[in-house]
Amino acid sequence: MDVPILKQGDYLIASILGALTDTALTRLQENLVRSVRQYRSKGVVIDVTVLDVMDSFAARTLRAITVMTRLLGAKVVIVGIQPEIAFSMVQLGLNLEGALTALDLEDGLALLKAADKKEQDGFRRHGR
Amino acid sequence: MDAETIIIDSDAGVMCARQKGRELAMAIGIAGSDLTLIATAISEVARNIVQYAGQGKIEFRFVEGRGRRGLLIVARDQGPGIADIGRAMEDGFSTSKGMGLGLPGARRLMDDFEIVSEVGKGTTISMIKWGHSQ
Amino acid sequence: MPLSATHPPEKFLTLAEMMNISEQELERRKQILQFGPEDEERLLKLAPVSTRSAEAVIEAFYRHLLAFDEMRAFFPDPALLARVKARQKEYFLRLTQGDYDLDYAEERLKIGAVHEQIDLPVKHYLGMYNFYLRELWRYISEADRGHPDETLATFFSLMKLTFLDISLAIDTYIDSRERTIKALQQEVIQELSTPVLPFREGMLLLPIIGQIDSQRARQLTEHLLLAIRANRAKVIVIDITGVATVDSRVANHLVQTVDAARLMGAKVVISGISPEIALTMVTLGIDLGPVYTVGDLQNGIEHAERLLGYRVEKIAETGDDEKEA
Repeated sequence: MDVPILKQGDYLIASILGALTDTALTRLQENLVRSVRQYRSKGVVIDVTVLDVMDSFAARTLRAITVMTRLLGAKVVIVGIQPEIAFSMVQLGLNLEGALTALDLEDGLALLKAADKKEQDGFRRHGR
Repeated sequence: MDAETIIIDSDAGVMCARQKGRELAMAIGIAGSDLTLIATAISEVARNIVQYAGQGKIEFRFVEGRGRRGLLIVARDQGPGIADIGRAMEDGFSTSKGMGLGLPGARRLMDDFEIVSEVGKGTTISMIKWGHSQ
Repeated sequence: MPLSATHPPEKFLTLAEMMNISEQELERRKQILQFGPEDEERLLKLAPVSTRSAEAVIEAFYRHLLAFDEMRAFFPDPALLARVKARQKEYFLRLTQGDYDLDYAEERLKIGAVHEQIDLPVKHYLGMYNFYLRELWRYISEADRGHPDETLATFFSLMKLTFLDISLAIDTYIDSRERTIKALQQEVIQELSTPVLPFREGMLLLPIIGQIDSQRARQLTEHLLLAIRANRAKVIVIDITGVATVDSRVANHLVQTVDAARLMGAKVVISGISPEIALTMVTLGIDLGPVYTVGDLQNGIEHAERLLGYRVEKIAETGDDEKEA
């Protein structure tokens, strides 16, 4: 029942499968944060391609995940938001404050890698 | 079908109502993306019930008008009610002004929308999504 | 007043209202056909004949109808056929029950609408009326043998009513065709007025021209979001050069469109913001969020290309090659 979290190198991938209960969503939050800490992950990709509805609770939880993960120094990318979900989200005024977004898993991982590379280059250049 | 009612008193009820809404909408030929809009509007309205009134119910009925069928969804509770409906329904910008009850958004997701509320008595929200002609 | 099925809101229209068939219109049609109270009386007198012959007439009709190949497809199973026959019998009997008022018209319109929606060809629909008239003539003339004038008058009354029914049925066919055409036109207009143009790989161009109302904004947004998915677009250039005025409503729609596109992972460049519009937006306190705004479409496209990692260089002019050599 828990959302499975996969480790791919420096990144964690959580693919949400269909209708999520509130409890499952809350548990995802706990599990992700714990895993980020445990594996010192640089980024998390949350795939919501199959999520049936993004309501205020789901958006709030994703925001919380983003905030906590970033406090741990990792980035969050939400991928797979479908057109009708994106549409209803803006109608309801829901936002994913601070989370990056990408079309799908492939793009999401590419985004994380590119962002990390840019950071590394920045560090190297400024000798930090 | 006369009317189907889902009791809303927990997040399980919210999910149940969403599923029921989808199922009934599909039965009258409502298209894929509209199903998501319906489920989302139901979710918001149902969550308000759980959060502010503790419990309530959502009734589903088919209605007819203008030569087509529609799904009427009525969310009722006997909670604290909304004092300033005007403000609650204020059409703010995407960074949601209004009172965060998601009501202007829910209205935009549905075709017809009405809200009746009285402080101390409760709130009734009625919304319709129309299908295409029979 | 809260919406409820037991207390439908005034905005639910009957078919008659939708098609502008008022009491007066119905009266007018009766006048055209010279259908009056005497006709109604004759039809009421015909009721017993009608009742006696209903079963036989309906059976004969369906025997005739099902002889045609294309009609058999409409009745794949016997249960359906039985139901349809029952309803036809009701229809048939109603012809001689009087009270040919707006409710009667509404019923006829409904029947017409149903037949139209199952795609029953008009020729068969008219063939049905014709059949009834011919069959009933046999029964009427048999029943009324001694009074040929009365018999003919009764038949004419029936014919008038049938023509009234036909006019209502044809109206539903026409109305439905018109609505289909209108819907198709709407679709085409939508496509033309909210074109989402794939420009380079990963880039979409959305030139907006004219007024933006809520409906158009919604269509635009839906169209754009679907295109983002279909084209895997990473950058959208929205050009608003052609948008006349930007008030808070329009700006709101723009913000929502931009937000939704971003949720799908696309970056947005907005071009064509005139100084006036820029001032309006600042005054209204509108925050488009992290979008890149540029003055004109060309800059917008160039910026988008840079975002995608393209660098556009101009190769030497054709004239120079010759000089070099």
